[in-house]
Amino acid sequence: MDLKRRDFLKVLGATAAGSLLPGCAGETKKLIPYLLPDEEIVPGVANWYASVCRECEAGCGILVRVMEGRARKVEGNPTHPVNRGKLCARGQASLQGLYNPDRLQGPLQREGARGEGRFKPISWEDGMSRWVSELEKHPGGAVLISRPVPGTLARLFSTFIKEISGRLLFYHPSAERALAAANHRSFGIDLLPEYDLANTTYLLSFGAPFLSDWLSPVHYGFAYGRMRQGRPTVRGRFIQVEPRLSLTAASADRWVPIRPGTEGLLAVGIGQVILQEGRARLAKGDRGRFEKFYSAFSLDQIAAETEVPREGIIRLARGFSEAAAPLAIGGGSAAAQTNGTNTLMAINALNLLVGNLGAPGGIRFLQPVEGFHSAQAHPVSEQALLDLRGFFKKQKRSVLMLYQSNPLYALPSSTRFREVFEDAAFVVSFNSFMDESTALADLILPDHFFLESWGDFLNEGIVPTAGLAQPVVIPRYDTRPVGDLFLSVAKRIGGRMEERLPWIDFRTMLREQWKTFLARRERDKSFEAAWVERLQQGGWWGPEGRLVSVSRRALPDAVEPARFEGDPKEYPFYLSLFESMGLHGGEGANRPWLQELPDPMTSVVWGSWVEINPKTAREYGIQEREIVRVISPYGEIEASVIYFPGNRPDLISIPLGQGHTAYGRYAKGRGVNPLTLLAPMIDPLSGTLATGATRVRIERTGRRGRPVLVDQTGEGTRRHPEGKKGET
Amino acid sequence: MRKWAGTLLALWVIAVALIVGFFYSQGSADLRGQDRQPIAFSHQRHAGELQINCLFCHRGADISPAASIPPVYVCMMCHRSLKAQTPETQKLLTYWNNKEPIPWVRLQRLPEFVRFTHQMHLNAGFKCTDCHGQVAQMTSTPRAATFEMGWCIRCHQRNGASKDCFTCHY
Repeated sequence: MDLKRRDFLKVLGATAAGSLLPGCAGETKKLIPYLLPDEEIVPGVANWYASVCRECEAGCGILVRVMEGRARKVEGNPTHPVNRGKLCARGQASLQGLYNPDRLQGPLQREGARGEGRFKPISWEDGMSRWVSELEKHPGGAVLISRPVPGTLARLFSTFIKEISGRLLFYHPSAERALAAANHRSFGIDLLPEYDLANTTYLLSFGAPFLSDWLSPVHYGFAYGRMRQGRPTVRGRFIQVEPRLSLTAASADRWVPIRPGTEGLLAVGIGQVILQEGRARLAKGDRGRFEKFYSAFSLDQIAAETEVPREGIIRLARGFSEAAAPLAIGGGSAAAQTNGTNTLMAINALNLLVGNLGAPGGIRFLQPVEGFHSAQAHPVSEQALLDLRGFFKKQKRSVLMLYQSNPLYALPSSTRFREVFEDAAFVVSFNSFMDESTALADLILPDHFFLESWGDFLNEGIVPTAGLAQPVVIPRYDTRPVGDLFLSVAKRIGGRMEERLPWIDFRTMLREQWKTFLARRERDKSFEAAWVERLQQGGWWGPEGRLVSVSRRALPDAVEPARFEGDPKEYPFYLSLFESMGLHGGEGANRPWLQELPDPMTSVVWGSWVEINPKTAREYGIQEREIVRVISPYGEIEASVIYFPGNRPDLISIPLGQGHTAYGRYAKGRGVNPLTLLAPMIDPLSGTLATGATRVRIERTGRRGRPVLVDQTGEGTRRHPEGKKGET
Repeated sequence: MRKWAGTLLALWVIAVALIVGFFYSQGSADLRGQDRQPIAFSHQRHAGELQINCLFCHRGADISPAASIPPVYVCMMCHRSLKAQTPETQKLLTYWNNKEPIPWVRLQRLPEFVRFTHQMHLNAGFKCTDCHGQVAQMTSTPRAATFEMGWCIRCHQRNGASKDCFTCHY
């Protein structure tokens, strides 16, 4: 007893002394003053710079807090009409892109065979000379795959590529090409619309994950809040139709777990009921056409196909058509099928039936900001990228250039897109990180990070704005802005090219563009004054944009269930790949803050997992957290199982974004990339990859995995282990 | 046997107390601070004899949370035209000629979870000497007060300033 007591006191004393030691050491021992004072910097006082976030394709306005020349915090710009002072996790984590330890720090040249991953630094002069000489050696063979950069950079790229008779492809995996194609076919307009969620009273969403990653999540998240709580007397009702209970579905009043690929049929069923019950608000000329189209379907058959009972469809139709301001939207899982475009057109037809085009709470097509010539950057679909395979085979001597795009990761291996890289004579990457595509490059000329660059961003659709981006910190590394590179090459090539791109650097070009733009809008101010004011504001936005009138009111060509790859007997499960909230399609995987952002439905961090309905899992005898093998006709992956009652029993869902084979220390070798499972199935109308069109089976491995869940209490998703079937 | 144990225990407690006390005094008083500085800078000489205003060197004090250490350039505004050099001013010239900042040792320190702003206190009418002591009479610059929470609170209490947690911890 005595001994124990003595030991205890010893330990106590030692601990007390030990705990004081680090306190004395202190974190900052030295105070290093400036050598020369900087007039614009007062140590301890923050400067806030307005700019545009480029972490996804939404283009939110941001304010960056900069102290002593370092960017410390990113917040939303309160006056920017897209995000109104709000910002998502990805925008917040953009600082970890800027200060990422794996950023490419200067130009690199390949050593050894392509793909071996050995690079050696070269000077900018040598790098530029190599690039120019390759361009000159392969006339007409240049291909630039760039992320969409709507604004002055798009104009620069398109002028440059046109002059060397090359090809320019704007591509981003989450560009919602099916939506653009469907709107073009339904309404005859080549713009993304604004869905006026804020004034809707009944929102019927087919798979659109607008609260996590769809189009402009911050904008729609804000509008959603106003729809639910912003009006004193009305609380908008919200129904989400999708096979997996996403974060968006979890916020809905009702979730309809539909059979994958039949969303268009359900929309047709709802339309049929609306027409039959005489609630359609159609123009006179359209009535006959619509009645003929809808009468071709049987409601009972639709109920059987969609697995939504007949009464459920009638209830949805009545709720939708009786509402004062109904709105139907579609995207995400509904668009990720081989019939995606037709599905979205069937959803558009619902909006035509209730006549909400241009109305408050409906669909509005707004005229984009005018005055920027040829600055639009319409993204292309996956099919356009895959068509490069033939082009490169024929050409045999092409120069492939990559700007902020990583198609080798974003496209499934079954599409054999790697051939494009193998057939290219020369590959140049302007990316900031050593990602999967850049690792196969011959020459790497890294761009500044967006917080170090000049730029602008034209928001299409949502609210017509022109965001203006300025560098907020001095470039950290020996990188160069991609605009400057193209302009200096234009100078070297000379002739007509130099005439059309005469600017000495990209900042001058940007200022010239804005000079003509602002000259028409702010006549009473000098350009210098207006320019400084726009920089402070973060861009230009006027009053509400003009409405574009709809020239066409078309019905879908055909509505039928989607096609799937894989025999249902051998591969009994549907597969749903969803973008993770933080990592999106994988671009966020090298930001530790986003890796440790818990998935909102399962609370998993830092890894991949497979979501299975607990009922199905028990049938297979699969324990939670056991590693399971998911097999498709095209590949297989292994990951830990998380019981997820929000899955249909015939559905396996896996988050996208992990499983990088490059892309820095935080991303590389973490989790699995479920895209390897996918068959090369394409929605023919839009050319979009149908990520939901591959069937899979599962196999037990018997091994136990170690997924990291933040919610370890057994609550949350596992509160209802029975996995009750959702209401319809 | 039991007696020995008691004595050992008492010795142990005393030893721990001594160690703790040693580190505690080190942390709060910085008595040997002057020796640790790369240049034996004297506030008595600059602020006392030469009557240089505190804000001439610590330019951030009334416009920033941080009082700030003067850039080497500010030292050189006077020192570049001095005729007679001492070994200590020679050190300053060496730093300047090598284009190196002077690695001063930090003596005044607050934990990370405290937000103190010089600007607010100066604007409220306090003098630098109220907290930092009569530096004009000190050759070395020890910590004049503990800068611990009790000390802050007492002053806030005396002057009727806010005692809300979020005044300093946010």
